[in-house]
Amino acid sequence: MNLVNIRDVLTSFSPALDYLAISTGDGRIKIWDTVKGQVQTEFADIASTEETNIYTKVAKGHLSVDYTCMKWLSLERKKKRKLGTSVLVLGTGGGDVLALDVASGQLKWRISDCHPGGVNAVSSSARASCIYSGGADGMVCQIDPHSGNLIRKFKASTKAVSSLCVSPDGKILVTASAQLKTFYCSDLKKIQKFTGHPGGVRCVAFTEDGKYVLSSAAGERYIAVWKSDGAKKQSASCVLALEHPPVFVDSWGETNEKGLYVLAISEIGVCYFWYASNVEELCNAKPTKVALATEDSALKHHKGSLPIIFAAKLQGILNPGSAHAFIASGLLVKPSFQKMVLQFGTDLVLNASKDGILLPIAQVSKSSKGQGVQNRVITLDRAHAEDALLPIARVADLHEKLHSSDKDTDMVDQSQADHEETFSMEDKLRSLGILGGTDEQKNLTFASIIDGIDLEAYLPPKKLKSAVLSMEPSSAFKTLEALVAMWQTRACGGRHLLPWIYSITVNHSHYIVSQEPKNQQLLNTLLKITKSRGTALQQLLQISGRVQLVTAQINKAAGNQTQVTAHDHEIDESEDEEEDVEEHFYGENDNESDLSSDDGKDKDDSLMEM
Amino acid sequence: MFSSSRSRSKMIRGGRNNITSAPAFSKDAKKLLLCTANSVSVYSVATGLKITSLEGHTATVTTVIVDLKSDDTFTYCWTSSLDGKIHLWEFSEPKLLKSFDTHLPIYSLVMIPSNVSRSLIAYVSVEDFSTVSKDLFAQIRRFILIDEPLPSGDILKEMEEPKPIVLSPSREFFGVCNNCIIHIWNASFGASEHLMPKETTLRHTQLITVFAFHPNQKILAAGDVTGRVLIWKDIGNGELTSVKSEDDPESSCTTFNWHSAEVTVLNFSSDGALLYSGVKEGVLVVWELDTRKKQLLPKIESPLLYFIFSSDPTLSSVICADNQIHLLKMPSMEILRTISGIKPRRLDPTGFLCYVRTMDICLIRTVSIDRSSGIAALCTANHRVQLYNLLNDHEVSEVQVCESNHHPDNDGVRVSLTAVALSRNGSVMATADARFAATNFSEGLVSLKFWVFVPDSKTFSLSTVIDQPHREAAITAIALNPTRSMAVSISSAGDFKIWVCNSDKNLTPEDSNWICHGVGSYKRTPITAAVFSWDGSCLALAAKTVITIWHPLKNELLYVVGKTNVPIMELSFARGGFLIAASHRFKRHLSVWDLMTFTLSWSYRLHVEAIATEADSPYFAVLTWLPESYRSAKSNEQIFRGKDGAILLFDGSGPKPVAIWTVMKARGGTLSFVEDGKKSQPLLAYVNRSHEYVLFDPYSDENLETSAIDHEAFLAAISKKRKRCKKKAMMLERPWETIFCGSTLNFPPYPDVCAAIFGSQMLKKVCESERVERQT
Repeated sequence: MNLVNIRDVLTSFSPALDYLAISTGDGRIKIWDTVKGQVQTEFADIASTEETNIYTKVAKGHLSVDYTCMKWLSLERKKKRKLGTSVLVLGTGGGDVLALDVASGQLKWRISDCHPGGVNAVSSSARASCIYSGGADGMVCQIDPHSGNLIRKFKASTKAVSSLCVSPDGKILVTASAQLKTFYCSDLKKIQKFTGHPGGVRCVAFTEDGKYVLSSAAGERYIAVWKSDGAKKQSASCVLALEHPPVFVDSWGETNEKGLYVLAISEIGVCYFWYASNVEELCNAKPTKVALATEDSALKHHKGSLPIIFAAKLQGILNPGSAHAFIASGLLVKPSFQKMVLQFGTDLVLNASKDGILLPIAQVSKSSKGQGVQNRVITLDRAHAEDALLPIARVADLHEKLHSSDKDTDMVDQSQADHEETFSMEDKLRSLGILGGTDEQKNLTFASIIDGIDLEAYLPPKKLKSAVLSMEPSSAFKTLEALVAMWQTRACGGRHLLPWIYSITVNHSHYIVSQEPKNQQLLNTLLKITKSRGTALQQLLQISGRVQLVTAQINKAAGNQTQVTAHDHEIDESEDEEEDVEEHFYGENDNESDLSSDDGKDKDDSLMEM
Repeated sequence: MFSSSRSRSKMIRGGRNNITSAPAFSKDAKKLLLCTANSVSVYSVATGLKITSLEGHTATVTTVIVDLKSDDTFTYCWTSSLDGKIHLWEFSEPKLLKSFDTHLPIYSLVMIPSNVSRSLIAYVSVEDFSTVSKDLFAQIRRFILIDEPLPSGDILKEMEEPKPIVLSPSREFFGVCNNCIIHIWNASFGASEHLMPKETTLRHTQLITVFAFHPNQKILAAGDVTGRVLIWKDIGNGELTSVKSEDDPESSCTTFNWHSAEVTVLNFSSDGALLYSGVKEGVLVVWELDTRKKQLLPKIESPLLYFIFSSDPTLSSVICADNQIHLLKMPSMEILRTISGIKPRRLDPTGFLCYVRTMDICLIRTVSIDRSSGIAALCTANHRVQLYNLLNDHEVSEVQVCESNHHPDNDGVRVSLTAVALSRNGSVMATADARFAATNFSEGLVSLKFWVFVPDSKTFSLSTVIDQPHREAAITAIALNPTRSMAVSISSAGDFKIWVCNSDKNLTPEDSNWICHGVGSYKRTPITAAVFSWDGSCLALAAKTVITIWHPLKNELLYVVGKTNVPIMELSFARGGFLIAASHRFKRHLSVWDLMTFTLSWSYRLHVEAIATEADSPYFAVLTWLPESYRSAKSNEQIFRGKDGAILLFDGSGPKPVAIWTVMKARGGTLSFVEDGKKSQPLLAYVNRSHEYVLFDPYSDENLETSAIDHEAFLAAISKKRKRCKKKAMMLERPWETIFCGSTLNFPPYPDVCAAIFGSQMLKKVCESERVERQT
């Protein structure tokens, strides 16, 4: 999927971390300003055109160069301590070592054919007193960074030197092919030999104090840690495992004081971070991972390169277990730079920005819409103060706090507690007793009890029954209580309530009866209501029946002149009647169950239905 | 800018003024030499990065001239400075070759190679205060640079003010404009030691702001304050050719009249066919000299100061008044690169200051520094906030706070950014701006804006706008809570408002909006300072002279700490339970309160400009401004040497400062601690009035003992009367407390309730403090 393999990408931070040089293998070097997040400048044609003329620009000369290694040094001037020049040292596949003055954008010096067969690694100490380069010929060259003069050259290995590193104090040099060798820089005497890597070592690094060497071979999914002041021949003192082969290793920390910090980037662009107080613990340390979020759908369908973390540098230690790191992530065409705190033990997922991706038009519009939503601005006018949660300041009650001198901590706890609770004027007023209305309060509780029952909706009797049967007996009883109360207070129409009441009394009759001694009044009230309503209903039914009779006779008396319309009317009336009947049915049913007031019948019903 | 009474440690300086004088291109047009404060910086044209700097002058460098006569192998340049020195440099590898001392501050320099001897003749514009008999202190002098010591030089002209000298590209003429007159000398006549160059005078009816010589003909172009460009022909050929005015029907003078504002830039193209003229608003116009046709060039947003060409015809550079240097691709005027410094602060219209001053509050905080990342937010002239990384001396980005307005004076609306605040991790910024009609300062449109940082583009996006948060009253300060999304804005109207960010868990930070959480006031007194404690749990507010502590979440008044006798303009919490209160501008005050016992620990009478405190150390630093009367006192001259302020580092427990540094341009300066990622100890950042800054480690010094001896003398000098008192503040008894516990909603107005009780408390305190004063 990745068009650009991270292994081919050369990156180097400037010593002050304000610039990042990236070379993606096409012979061009882009210098990114990490503060602004913009390209500061771009170098092409450096190696090919030494005499740059403004009028005759040679284009595309950069394609003939392939850089194999890169290192950014800042050269300190001894006489004037101000403003040492910043130099980018590059090795090419053709075997040249060249130094680029970044500020002026010019080639500073160049050693042609330093390593026949290609330069594989360049390194220098923190003070950049001299540069070491290693190449395919197995030689190591010591170069003066100011002039580019070759100071000396020696054979470090019979095979190609694949990587090398100088300790930060500039005293020890480690070269790597398949085996690692350490030398004293002063007299090039061999100190140690570390064997164990099966192939050529890709990256090697010293810890900040120079006591340990970290190394990883190509294709290996671990980093080996070697002790640099131990026995002549030794095995790795610690091995750090990764899920993918690492391409970059950085470390920080003095082992005896602050602990050991190791940072690595794997081939798929995930950053790993280890911390331990000493090497023995480092073996058991589980890495903390920093990765970019990849679940973005827009990016998943995108067939280009994925956003990755491609450069990182440890900057300093905040406190044991956490360190400042500077991370360049995103796409190589538009990286974003972040300074972040890595806390050992907490994995981080960074948001990948979509800048720099060429998306299809549809996706672009979508994302722009999303941005529009993101960038919405809320405007508050003068009335904002009315919405203030605490519109009036108060004087705190400090009786308890007066004698506690440690006020600050006290307040932290309190404030945290306050943060959780929500402020409601109503609650407050109610607690003060200003807002009365117990009915409402009960109503609220009813609502909470019969939560989940839509009283207004018409349910067929079977569904209703199943719903009631699914209730717990206790909750059904509570519901019944609530329903009866609602009926009593006429909070809801009897038409909606009665089917439920009926169904509950029928289906949970045992429980209701068992609860009866405790809640005598429930069934009594039910009885009272039904009685009163039932008596009223009887009379109402009589009246309605008589009215119907009268209207029918009037219609008959009117004769057959309006036969058709009358017929229509009849149909309408019949429909009305049907509805009425239905209502009556429910009503009667209720009446039956309620009026009978003996539970036996209910029982019979339930038995029959069962 | 800065000197230390102790030995110099590692410092980061930056934010230098790049625009004090015209820069110069090197001969091969690959380098640009820029006068930056006391040094000359050499920038690469190709990369826009600084290659090296020429350090050696002890005062502001005023001129840099690249020696075009030198051959290709050597790259020489001449510099002059206000320290009176003329230096010759090899600038490809910074090396000082020669130095001449004129003993007079040099404002401008032109170099003319002598044909007679191998020596060089320098014409300088200097200021000489030794000639006290006259008002004309500024002089044009001629020096023949042969060897040290230089003779005093011959005076060509005396003027009121030092003016820049302009040399013609042919090096035949040089001239200086003085009000309505241009004086021109023919340099070839002054080549020998005894012969003085001849003077020609050109007169005009208006004040001339800028003039330029034609590269090969005897033509001179001059621009005046009204926007006219005058062109004189046949200048100074031997006899005195003076032109009375532009109305004179003389053929030697023609006028280009198009600009409506003061002409600031005037330049002939290298072949002499075109004339470039630029005005304050950033418009550049190119004129064809023969046909008098004009063409407008793409507008550059800020006022132009200089416009220079290089030997490369496709490259030029324009220098803007907002400290930006643009390298332009020539025919298209496309900006290739920009070298940007910190933009200068806005010169506030005096009316606004008056308006604020009537409210007895004159604090406009336009600089805010985020201590964790070292990023400073600075308000600039065109209603923007510039984010600048102090650690790298590098601009981050710019945020347009209000709509930009290129003609602020024309449409009668004045916009002013009154406050800016950055949160501790740099994720939130709050700004306040006010808009006034030009005549009416009482009713302004004030808006408070909250911004969220967008890490990808390294800029801020607007999150919430609140119009008229304190009715018509201007917001005088904003303080952000260091631990949570909370802010407090204070106004001159006497109320403060606490704002919170209601960010839901499922929303991105960009979606969050700010709402008003609480409103409060203290006896309707104008709130003059606000600060949150480091843990964010309490809020200290100064209601003029009373320091109060509030619970920001509950919006409750917790304590009334104490009362001073001057309005408190600055508050800060320090580690160890100290609260530092200070005042500036009109009243001198610095006091440290112990929060454990609510007592005044100690106090000074100092004009305090800024306080910097640290979260985890009891040290705090104070920037003081010292009035002229103190500095000019005989005993103090030795200490100050031209500095007008001092930074004092205290350790909280005692009134004796741990360290003292004297600084320049302290008035309106800012002070803050900044964490450096590499070091455990934070650095102290000082940004002065003209937005230059320095970062230094206040602790890393070995000779603390020797400096302490100086302190006694210094302290005696700066503070005539030092108050020190230890008084026990009584705990507030609160009989009024029950008033608030009632169940009724209509509380009595706050001041009515509290006035009596607070009043009695305060009376007592006033008495005590007065007694204390008498004691001392």
